[in-house]
Amino acid sequence: MRGSAERPVILRGCALACALAAAPAVAADTLAEKPSDLSVTVYRAPERGSGSIDLDRLEGFALVSETRTVHLPAGTSRLRFEGVADGIEPASAIVTGLPDGVIEKNREGKLLSPSALIAAAVGKSLTLLRTDKKTGQLARVTATIRSDAGGGVVFETPEGIEALRCSGLPETFSFSGITDLAATPTLSVLVRAAQPVTRTVTLSYLARGFDWAADYTATLSADGKSLDLGAWVTLANGNGVGFPAAHAQVVAGRVNRESGEVEPLDPGGPILAECWPRGSTSDPPQYLQIRRASPLDAGGSTAGITLFKMALAAPMAEVAVTAHKRVEQEQLGDLKLYRVPDRTTVAARQSKQVRLLDRQAIPVSFVYGADLEVNQPTASVPASRLLRTQNTAANHLGLPLPSGRIAVFVTRGGGKLLQHESGMRDLAVGEEVEINMGDSPDVEVTSVKESSSNDRVDVTNARPAEIRFELRLQLPEGGRVVRADHPTASKNGRPIFRLTVPANKTVTLRYQTEHVT
Amino acid sequence: MHTRLLIIGWLLWLPIPSSALAADRALSVTIYADDLALVQDRRDIEVKGGRQRIEFQDVSAQIRPETAALTASDISIVEQNFDFDLLTPAKLMEKAVGHEVTIVRVNPATGAETRETAEVLATNAGVVLKIGQRIEVLRDDGLPVRVIFDKVPDNLRAHPTLSVTVIGGHAGTRPATLSYLTPGLGWRADYVALYNENDGKIDVQGWVTLTNTSGVTYDDAQTLLVAGSPSQVDGGAQQPNHYRRPQPRPTLQQPGTESGSRERLGDYYLYPLAERTTIANLQTKQVSFLDVHGVPAEHGYEFRNRWLGSAETPQSAKSIYSFSTSAHAGLGDQLPAGILRFYMRDKRGDPQFIGETRIDHTPMGSTLSLATGDAFDVKVRAVVDKRTQLSLFDWRSDMRYEFSNALPRPVTVKLLQEGLWGDSRIAAESQKSTRRDAETAEWAVTVPANGKASLTATFETRY
Repeated sequence: MRGSAERPVILRGCALACALAAAPAVAADTLAEKPSDLSVTVYRAPERGSGSIDLDRLEGFALVSETRTVHLPAGTSRLRFEGVADGIEPASAIVTGLPDGVIEKNREGKLLSPSALIAAAVGKSLTLLRTDKKTGQLARVTATIRSDAGGGVVFETPEGIEALRCSGLPETFSFSGITDLAATPTLSVLVRAAQPVTRTVTLSYLARGFDWAADYTATLSADGKSLDLGAWVTLANGNGVGFPAAHAQVVAGRVNRESGEVEPLDPGGPILAECWPRGSTSDPPQYLQIRRASPLDAGGSTAGITLFKMALAAPMAEVAVTAHKRVEQEQLGDLKLYRVPDRTTVAARQSKQVRLLDRQAIPVSFVYGADLEVNQPTASVPASRLLRTQNTAANHLGLPLPSGRIAVFVTRGGGKLLQHESGMRDLAVGEEVEINMGDSPDVEVTSVKESSSNDRVDVTNARPAEIRFELRLQLPEGGRVVRADHPTASKNGRPIFRLTVPANKTVTLRYQTEHVT
Repeated sequence: MHTRLLIIGWLLWLPIPSSALAADRALSVTIYADDLALVQDRRDIEVKGGRQRIEFQDVSAQIRPETAALTASDISIVEQNFDFDLLTPAKLMEKAVGHEVTIVRVNPATGAETRETAEVLATNAGVVLKIGQRIEVLRDDGLPVRVIFDKVPDNLRAHPTLSVTVIGGHAGTRPATLSYLTPGLGWRADYVALYNENDGKIDVQGWVTLTNTSGVTYDDAQTLLVAGSPSQVDGGAQQPNHYRRPQPRPTLQQPGTESGSRERLGDYYLYPLAERTTIANLQTKQVSFLDVHGVPAEHGYEFRNRWLGSAETPQSAKSIYSFSTSAHAGLGDQLPAGILRFYMRDKRGDPQFIGETRIDHTPMGSTLSLATGDAFDVKVRAVVDKRTQLSLFDWRSDMRYEFSNALPRPVTVKLLQEGLWGDSRIAAESQKSTRRDAETAEWAVTVPANGKASLTATFETRY
């Protein structure tokens, strides 16, 4: 049959003996108590300059701090922290308050799942259960799983080699013994204590799947000369873990983030029990497919990402709006920290709103503006309507305005109408606030080339009121305005004409440019 | 025939009693920072005289088989194979083509079993069997049929397996060492820095973070981490490296010249783990290696402007923390590459995250300057005021930089104007600059509390 000289000597992993050899390092498991105090600080998505959050893509993160009580026996023990956020970045975890003798911190990436049970049982003896469909009689057969590669399960019984669930008969494995696989990503610390101790420790870590933004609503007064500004802090938790009665904070400002990679995580899968080709004589003809054998996939990070996305894709069930109590702002280095005044519950897959600010009668002005590229004659284009104010105390503002989205309403009769919505960047105290309210078809700009270096611009105003208008020119490298029939100024290095266009009138501007060729 | 085959197959796959094997098993894993590890697996193996095959099933699934080497006394190696044809039901059936299998039909009405011997003719799309003189398609009628194979074909395995064919001198047990390189094991450093705003000092903790995606668990392994990246030739079974990215901003301001007490190997630093540890598959493991308190650190602001950079809206300056890794007034250690996370206490005294940055391998005695993020209150707007062509190749650029500070204290912003390459000079400036290098001019601009400042400079460049 087979040359006995070629009979392989098989060196396998050693379940029992390794455990014995490693006996001094194998530690008693102790479970940390549930958090007695929680703090969640949410940071917005670092790449988003302005705009609101997207519940389907929460790309911000949070610093979660949990205070827990632990009871450590004497000797070496593995202290496990269960119920941490799904999006935990294990490398960022810090545990403070433990006695000296922390040997290592671990985060297991393999989770308990049907496929993980099978994978752990490869090469081991277990029981195969077969149920007779007719009589309901259960037959128990001792079997050894020989392989779980590629989604199919091959096992061996005293009768021979078979494949799981390829016969059309109900069959399954019964697993015995306890598994050390956990249901959720669990952080553990290997710690050594001289005598039994009870300590209060703080576990803090960064977790993904959070985000926040400021959502401003501005209501213009009837005369258009002032507005009332209100804002919400909208924060969202896309994790499957909630944080009850937590101190909640949000941080404004862009912080550096480096770790793009997720530590490997294998959430596992179902037992696929794939079989050999199962075509029958009644199947439509198929082309012969010859597949090349491919090496095992590493299984790691992509699976983790899938799990996480799945978690995030679950519908956001709840939108909570809390009471009319504002967040408190404080300086955190070069960032702004906003503290939710009372303890609040940041539940799983929830977005929550807390009042950020309310300011009344902020004086504003409107300007119409257009950017023109010299030498590019344009048919009439609508001008942009810009709302301007200064972020100063004199203007009833003078406070940091974190980035987000602003919706501008106008009052009409007794009600409000949405006029425009746009993003807002971080604005420090003293900065100019400029909100582009969109194009105005009432104010049109037409540029005409009168000769090679002379341009004419007509600004038409169909509004029943006088408007202020700003025309900025984009000149080619080294170009300049030689003369013009209106005064020329400069803004951010570019020539600008500030005009006043009377109600229902047209203003014509002529200028001559020169540029070296 | 049938039974005999079965028994041999059974024997072949009986693992050697593991206690005998593992009593003296010693695993040692050396992990490099660049997703590469050297695994040395020493254990006693039983060798018979003559030609034989030894299989290693618990090697890394990502092993680079060309680097595997088995050393033991009094054996000579004939050949080495790495089999990655995996045992699946489809493969099992495919390899049974031309061979006999046992089929067991189960009568759905009575539960009665009928056994037959069948030859597998083909497995394309469906399984075609020859039973006696009949030809049938397996389970064409949908009724339950069990297929029992006598044995598992030689090359099909649950895991990729390394096998070595050797000729043994004398029979008996002897220690052997299998060593190989594998990707899938990597490490980097993770630092936690807590900045104390009141006295300008930081506390720094360093952790090595170990990840294992190699597909197997290394039990009770002696672990050595090497800070350094040995050059690797492309084309090996390497995974793309996720831990290295181009540096957006240089962090090392002044390379150090001090030597520490850490163990070295050539030009690499070694970080041995104090105790044997089990590195489970898909585990992230952290071990502390650095804990320093009260290191002086400076906080400042920096703004880099690219050549002719001009902005419509003010841009935030970067918030910079710098400190030394020197033995006096510093961390007093060389730092392996990794990520440094900064924390600061809020008004209630709780540490809050303020940003992170990636550092490269840093020698002892260096000065590091690390950006944690954008300053909310300190902003700079760079404006190209004028561009004038002086002659065919000569240009004059008037630049203006406007600084604003919404903090209640004065700040100093380090302004770096880049891109002064070629024959560039500063013809006029409102404040004296220093030339950091041929391409970069640097100004330290003080911005008063809740105030503004401005700087102008005229550059003359020739192309």
